[in-house]
Formats: sequence, structure tokens, C-alpha cells
Amino acid sequence: MRRTASPPTSYFIGRLIAYQPWWWSGDALCWLLFHTWPLFAGLLAREFFILLQGNEPARLGLPAIVALAAALGVSRAGIVFVASIANGQERFRFRALLWHNLMMSILRRPGARALPGTVGEALSTLRDDVLNTAEAADLVFDSAAAFLFAAGGLAILLRVNARVTLFVFIPITVVIAVAHAVRAQLTGVRERSRQATARVTGAIGEVFSSVQAIQVAAAEELMLAYLRRLSDQRRLAMVRDALQRLWVDAIFRQTADLGAGLVLLVAATQMRAGSFSVGDLALFSTYLMQVSDFTGFLGWLINTYRQSGVSVRRLTDMLQGEPAARLVEHLRLPRGGTTRSPVDGRGGDPVGRPTDAEERTLRPPDRLRCLEVSGLTYHHPDSGRGITDVSFKLERGTVTVITGRLGSGKTTLVRTLLGLLQAERGEVRWNGELVRDPATFFVPPRAVYTAQVPTLLSGTIEDNIRSGWPSDAAQLNRAVYGAVLERDLAEFPAGLATVIGARGMRLSGGQVQRVAAARMFVREAELLVCDDVSSALDDDTEQLFWARAFEQDATWLIVSHRPAVLARADQVLEMDAGRVLGTCESRES
Amino acid sequence: MNRHGQLLLRYLGPQAPQASLMGLLLVISTAFQVAGPRVVRGFIDAAVGGAPADSLHRLAALFIAVSGAAQVLRVLAAYWSEQVAWVATNALRLDLTAHLLSLDGGFHKTRTPGELIERVDGDVNDLAGFLSSFAGQLLGGALLLLGILVSLFVESPVLGTVFALFSAGAFAIFGAVRRLAGPALRETRERGARLYGFLGELMTATEDIRSSGAVQYVRGRLIGHLRGWLPVAVRAKVWENLVWTVALMIFAFGDALAYGLGGLLYRLGRAPIGTVYMVLAYTALLAQPLETIRSQLENLQQADAGIARIGQLLAVRSRVVDGTAAIPSGALTVDFRDVHFSYDEGQERALDRVSFSVAAGRRLAVLGRTGSGKTTLARLLFRMYDPQDGEVVVGQVPLTTVRLASLRSRVGLVTQEVQLFQASLRDNLTFFDPRVPDARLSEILDQLGLGPWLRRQPGGLDTPVSAAALSAGEAQLLALARVFLRDPGLVVLDEASSRLDPVTEELLGGAMKRLFEERTVIIIAHRLATVGLVDDVLILEGGRVIEHGARDELAADPASRFHHLRRAGLEEALDS
Repeated sequence: MRRTASPPTSYFIGRLIAYQPWWWSGDALCWLLFHTWPLFAGLLAREFFILLQGNEPARLGLPAIVALAAALGVSRAGIVFVASIANGQERFRFRALLWHNLMMSILRRPGARALPGTVGEALSTLRDDVLNTAEAADLVFDSAAAFLFAAGGLAILLRVNARVTLFVFIPITVVIAVAHAVRAQLTGVRERSRQATARVTGAIGEVFSSVQAIQVAAAEELMLAYLRRLSDQRRLAMVRDALQRLWVDAIFRQTADLGAGLVLLVAATQMRAGSFSVGDLALFSTYLMQVSDFTGFLGWLINTYRQSGVSVRRLTDMLQGEPAARLVEHLRLPRGGTTRSPVDGRGGDPVGRPTDAEERTLRPPDRLRCLEVSGLTYHHPDSGRGITDVSFKLERGTVTVITGRLGSGKTTLVRTLLGLLQAERGEVRWNGELVRDPATFFVPPRAVYTAQVPTLLSGTIEDNIRSGWPSDAAQLNRAVYGAVLERDLAEFPAGLATVIGARGMRLSGGQVQRVAAARMFVREAELLVCDDVSSALDDDTEQLFWARAFEQDATWLIVSHRPAVLARADQVLEMDAGRVLGTCESRES
Repeated sequence: MNRHGQLLLRYLGPQAPQASLMGLLLVISTAFQVAGPRVVRGFIDAAVGGAPADSLHRLAALFIAVSGAAQVLRVLAAYWSEQVAWVATNALRLDLTAHLLSLDGGFHKTRTPGELIERVDGDVNDLAGFLSSFAGQLLGGALLLLGILVSLFVESPVLGTVFALFSAGAFAIFGAVRRLAGPALRETRERGARLYGFLGELMTATEDIRSSGAVQYVRGRLIGHLRGWLPVAVRAKVWENLVWTVALMIFAFGDALAYGLGGLLYRLGRAPIGTVYMVLAYTALLAQPLETIRSQLENLQQADAGIARIGQLLAVRSRVVDGTAAIPSGALTVDFRDVHFSYDEGQERALDRVSFSVAAGRRLAVLGRTGSGKTTLARLLFRMYDPQDGEVVVGQVPLTTVRLASLRSRVGLVTQEVQLFQASLRDNLTFFDPRVPDARLSEILDQLGLGPWLRRQPGGLDTPVSAAALSAGEAQLLALARVFLRDPGLVVLDEASSRLDPVTEELLGGAMKRLFEERTVIIIAHRLATVGLVDDVLILEGGRVIEHGARDELAADPASRFHHLRRAGLEEALDS
């Protein structure tokens, strides 16, 4: 699917860091200090045994050692506290940027095909993969800290006893290298278990998006059986994944004990001779304990980097062909220069423009005079069906009705025209001028669309109607009236301020259609496009709806086969199998 | 803690044999781990005392062998705990899903799918993480801690007692911090669930958002969500790490204690240098189980909030209580007896004293404007809600006594909005039931006039269905096919034909006639066109029945509301 080469994972990490350099640096400094702290602990242990054994002049007394041990711990705790704040800020801001950019990218896609998979899968990516990617920014300083600690520790040990150090660390290094090589083979298993997880998440998404359909079909047991099958597959994949991971982890953990054992073997004779003290043994084993933590940590780093690679790929896949760099594009707001984060406000209006339109009203020459469509073609990639070479023309103030049988391509036609599906061929001209990007062009105040089954957002009815469109009370009332919504509103407990529940479930199908229609009317657009908008209305309401609708000064493009609408049509396009069968001019009135 | 206990018992109980095997492996591996420092102590005292190199080498080799065996056993134990945990969480996930699917319409209208997904997926996953590490790590940690303390006590009761007190103190402090951190963590999870709910809504509404120019508006709302969550997330992070911060201080105190005590015992001549070394080694080793137990308790905290929310969900009782009676076979009668219903307490009545009967095999059209209560009627027939007063009777069985599965398999409903799965055509028709033969599906589709349509699909029944590629009319036809597959005795069509074009409506009309035979039918119609298929007509207004009678009689009576409606909609009635 993707042909353009995506930048490496490090590019995305770099862009994230550049996005929040201060929080990130503070975080980095804290963790650098934190990870090198154990070097001091080892030296302290050595001093302690030197003091006890007395074979070297002791530099510290017992009370000083006890006090230092406590002080080291307390200051390390302080570092963690400061780091938490920086880390919390940094990581959340990274996630906020990724969420924002992903959602904006989804909303830039042709609206009718915005997601590559199901909503459940997309949510799982937004939750887990965004987190993995945000965490990957910590890898830079974590690995720097690991390197610093390793270099410092090795230098100290070499000075204390070069022979033992070499004898112990060379075999350990070999073991670690082998373990890493094995771990590198594990990505395939991980990917399989992730896919199994995504399938379960997807199935859960399907279940809860279709609760009513499942309930009325008494299909609960069937759906549960399906979920059970997927869950079992996932369990097998996860356990296999875990087993491999456990073995590799065990090898890493074993390095400390193996190292300590080797020290004992190598230093046995030197210890009898007194040239390797108990203090030296304490120093070696303190550092060796860190080596196991350290190799575990190193493994975690490499693993996280790989995992973040998988996550970044999933995130860029969600962009569906947009340049991958847009994932980590920094935010810029029109006024006040750059804002570093979607969570920092500058001035009163954090959002920039409240609507997508550059201006609310069009200059007279831009107002619709005529719209010409020629050779418009689109086919659904799954089914191969769609529309082929559709051409027509409509003039200002007219009503054009698209009609035709089921599956003949009526909805596909309006979606393609409006850029909600991306046309394969064909062009659209507005007042004779070519529309280059229909999806951004056909928005209010030029055009507005109401889908066959509109979706509302949780919130008040007024919020749903306005959806950010600046309008005064009179305009709002006009829209409500136009949508024949006034009687319903009078019956609602809070009128326009009535909160509609999850996905507008509290409203009937007809009410949802009319709220969506009001959302369309309040925008006072030049071209009104609607797909069977009155399908769930009763006859009385429908008559009233169209009577009021055609009073407005607008140009209409309507998908319908209602006689009430056809009677008012200036032009009827009859479609069959994705083509326009015929156009008839039919103004009778 | 009680909640966790119940949950663990319910889901781990059935796996007692696997769990005990795992426990045994853990005990042995811990014994090996505790033995390690004792071997080193022997080595140091032997080396300082000038023992022969041979015996020193043997001790070193013994140390390597003992620690290696401990690792192998630990892996095996962890493997079993993973297995046990996944079996348990899968069972919980299915139970929770089953429970949520059993809840009534009143519950589902107040929850977004995204929110429920977050509960069933996110929260249960946290629990899986907790369970899989619970045995392997929490239990392993506890065993190691016990082993170290016993080993120290054997060495010197004073040492054993001091470190036992130290460990107890550490846990008391961890526990206190953990409790204090609870609210902040709960709040951040709640914010997260809200954000994911919102994102889920956005993703289903992309077409509406794009075309009404509301991208910037929803962007503003998204940013609002993020801004609200930021301070909460940072506070939660600080609280989460505070437990760790405190742990670091406690470990530092433990080190200081070991240096002090070890130094004193040595100077008093009560312990050789090897023993002092062993005490320090145990102190360092002690940090490991303390740390493990602490971080597992933190996982528990995450799972805590999840368990609380899962518990809340499991505690939601459906207002519709399942009965035991079965719906008889054959065409069904329907009686509404003095039914009162409103969706919310104190809200206006959706149905007000509704009474009517439909004889078996009759066909009734319910007419009325939007909001008149037509859809509510269908919802009550399916027991998505129960009426506050009066009763609904189907096949002579009052619905409050009926088994829901029996009701819903004998009554078919086609709703206004068809919910489709992003899956194959077959799975959409059969609800993922692999037992339904393809021949039966083809037959049903043929009867519905969808035969030619099916043959046009590139993959036949395997063709993936997505809401975007299917016209709403096709979706409605699939919904009809779903219903007819189950051979119901009563069919309820809620505006089933409202979105079909005339040609398909005609095709469907023929098929419907065949399928309506020997069945009772209620069509909730918005258009007079559909009324041609029925025997009786019922008109609702404001939740009341204002007219009910045989269609032909009402049509002939110039005073009837139906007559008036037909005249007003005459043009349309004649047209189709």
C-alpha cells in the first residue's frame, strides 16, 4: 500500500523532542543523575569492608558510612520526584500532539472513507501505539545514562583489579550478545500476538457498536462464541510470546549471578593471598547486580525502540498516504506565532478559527452561478461498484433530484462530488472554474451536506446544530424552523440546551435527520446537498419540511425518489448501475 | 481488598491444580535463590581463613549451579502464571460482555460504544497484566522476602527481627502512599475514558464533520479534552512515582541499617566478615522483593480502579428482568393493555394508556408523526424497556414473564438504523455463526430478491461489508434477511421500506408477501405506500391511540383520520 519510504523511527523521536525541548531536557538531566547513582553505592560498600578488614587505611568511619548511605538514597528520591513532573508533562504533551495530528489527518481524509479499519482498531492504536511512541523519546537519555554508567563502572573496576575484571566481563559480554541476538528474533511472535490482540479489540468494538442489532436478533450467544474463539487465539499467541520473553529475560538476569560466580572462581587464589579484599568483592558484586539491571534495562531499551518502530508504523499507516512527517508536525496557530502544544492556550481563543471556512460569506463573484460535473468516476475498492462518467450541470436557484434504484450509485455520486470519496477521474467546475480539492472547497458557506444516516455528537442540540458555525439567535431559529424541529424542541425538557445522549440515541431517527438538517440550514450555504434527508419523516412532517425548504434562497441537489420532491425538481437525474440513464427537465409548476 | 478477593476466587478458583503447580515451582526456586548468599558467605570465610583453592573453586561452582537452577524454575512458574491469567481474564471479558449485552435500552442509550470498549478492553487488560504478574511476581516476591527473613533469623534473631520490622514498616508506608494516590489515578483514567469516547464518536462522524465544515469546531473540543486532562495526568504521574520515591528512601534506610548493624556485630566479635557480607547481600536482595511487591501493588492500584469500574458495571441490573415462559410457535397474537411508558422518571409519557390487539396472522400498520411513540411501541415489544404500567402480551404470554431469548428469537425487528459489522456478508447475516449453511443464506437472499445482487458481489458471501460501501437501502435489505433467517412468528418493521427506491420496494413487496404468510406483522409506517400491505391501521398521536380499525373501513369513512391522511397524501399514495 505505502510506496513512499517512511523516515526512520528516530526521525519521529527527534521531532517529538524538538517539540518540547525544555520538559524533555529536564527529564533527561534527572534520569542521567539517577542512573549513575549506583556507582557511588559500590564505592561506599568497598569503603565499609576496608574499614572492617583493616588491610588498607580506611578513609571513612562507621558513622560517616551510615550517614552517607542514607543521604545517597534521599537525594536519589528527590531526583525521582522532580523527574516525575517533567516526565508527566513531556509525555502527555507528546501524546496530545500525536492525538491531535492523527485526528486532524483522519478528518482531512475523504469523509466517507476516513479510517483504514474499524473504530475499535483505530481506538486501540490511539491508545497503545501513541503511548509507545511517546515513551520512545525517553530512550535517548536512558541509553546515554546506561552508557555513562557502564563506562564509569568499568573504569573503576579496571583500576581496582584489571585481571578479574577482564576474566569476568568478557564471558558475560558474550552471553549478553547471544541473548540479544535471540531477542532480535522475537519480533515476529510479538507482531502475531499484537494482531491477535487487535482482532479481539476489533470484535469488542463491533459488539458494542451493534448492541441493539445483537439484542433484537437474540444473537448474544453467537457473538460471545465469536469473541471466545478470538480470545482463545489471543491467549495462545500471548502465552507463546511470554514464554520466549521469559527465557531471554532469565538469561539477562542470570548474568549477575554468573558474573559473581566467575569473580569467586577467578579471585579465589588472590583472596587467599590477600591481594583481592572482601571490599573488592563487594564492589564487584554491587556493580554486577547493576549489570543485570543494566542489561535488563538495555534489553528494555532495544525492545522499546523496536516496539516503538512497530507503533510508529501503525500510526503512519493511519495517515493513509499523507507524508509520514505530518504525524509529528508541530502546531502553528494563525496569530501569535507558534504555540508549542495543543494544551497551552495563548489568549482567549485557543483554537484559531472556529470554523473551517476562511470567511463566513462569499464575495458576490464567488457565489454559485452554475456547477458543472463532467466524467466523474469512482469505484469502491472492496466491491468494485461505484459511478462511471457522470456528467451534469446545475444552475443557481434550481432543484436537481438524483433518483434511481437501490445500489445504483446515488449516494456515491454525491459523496464523490463533495470529495467525501476521492474521485478517480472527472472534474467539477464552480462558475466555470475548476475545483481542485473538492473536500476543502465544498464546505460552508459554499456547500453543505446532510447524509442519509447523519451522525450527531454527544452534547446539546444547539452545539450539534451550530457545530462551531457563528450564528445569531435569529439564524438559529430560522434553521430550527426550516428543519421543522420547533415542535419537538418545545417538548424537550431543555429545548435547544437538551443534551442528547450517546450518539444521539435519545432522539428518534426522524429527529436525528432534522437536527442534521438544521445543522445544514444554519450554515446558509449556496449549495445544499442532501441524501434522502426526509426518509424517516412521516408524511405531514415531510410535506412541511420540503415546503419550508424550497422557500429558501438556495440551490438544491437532492437524492430522493419521493414524489413530493420530484414534483419540485427542475432537473431529474436517473441513475442505474453507476451511470446517469437520463436527465429530464421537469419543471411543471 | 474484598472486591479483589472475590474476583480472584471466582476466576482463579477453577484453575486450582495449575495454580498449585506454579506455587510449588516458586517455592523451590526461592529456596535456591536464598541459598546463594549463604554459599558466598562460606566462600569468604574459607578464603579469609586460608582454605585450599580446590574447595574454594567447588564453592564457586556450587554458587553458579544454584543460581542457574533458581532461574530455570522461575521461568517455568511464570509461564504457568501467564497461562492461568489469560484463561481467567478471557473468562472475565466474556462474562462482562455477556452482562452488558443483557442490559436494557435505558443503559445503552447513556453510554457511548467507545466508553464500553474502554471498559471491556482497557480495564480488563489492566487486570490481565495484574493477574499474570500476580502469581509469578507478587507471590514470588512474598516468598523470597520470607526466605530472606527466615535465613537472617537463623543467623541471628536480632537481625531477623530488625529486618522483619523494617519490611513491615516499608509496606505500611507503601500502603499509605498508595491509598493517597488512589483518587488521582482514578481521575486520570476517567479522563482517558472520556477522551477515547469522544475520539470514537469523531471517527464515526467523519462524514458529517467534514461536510458541515465543523473540523475546526471538533478540533476545539478535542483540545478542550486534552487541556482538561493534562494537569490531572501530571498529578497522577507524580502520585504514581511518589510510591517509588518513598521506596528509594526506604531502601537507603535499609542500607544504612545493614552497615550500622553489620559493623557493630563485627566489632563486637559476634559475626565473622563473611556473615557481615551475607547480611549486606541479603539487604541488597531484600530490595528486590520489596520493590516487586511495591510495583505489583501499584499494578493492583491500576487494576483497582479498573476492578471498581468493572464491579460497577457488573452491578448494574437490567431493569428488564428475564423471565422463564416461552413464546409459542406459529403466528403470534399481540396485546397492549393500558400501557404507560416514559423513558425517564418524570419525563413526558412516550405512550399513554395504549391498548390494542392484533390477532394472529393479521397485519397492522401503525401510523403517526415523528415522536408520536411508534418506535417506542417496537422497543416495548422487544422488552428493551418495560412499561411503567399496564402490560404487553405476545402469543398470550405477558412479556414480563417471558424468557428474553425466546421472545427475541420468535419476534423479528428491522430498525430504522441498521447496525452492520465490518465483516463478510455471511457473518453479517449469521452473526458469526459458522453453523448456518450457505445454501440457506442464498435461499433467503433469493426470496428477498437479492439473488442477482448476491451474484454481483465479487466474493459472494465472503464479500466484506462496510457501512460506507453499502447503500442504506441495501443495509435495510440485509436487516430483513437477518430477520427472515430466524423464521419469526411476529415481524416488526420500523420504517423498513422508507429508504428503498420504488423498484426495490416493489421487488421486496413480492418477497414480503410470501414471507408475511402465516405470520403476524406490525409495520411502523411513515408513508401511506406501505399501508397497501396491511389489514388494520392504528394511528398514534402524542403517545395515544387516536384511531384503530380495519383499513378498508377506515378508508371508506370520510370522518376518519385515516381518510383525511389518505387525502392529504393522495398524490403520494397513488404514485406508488
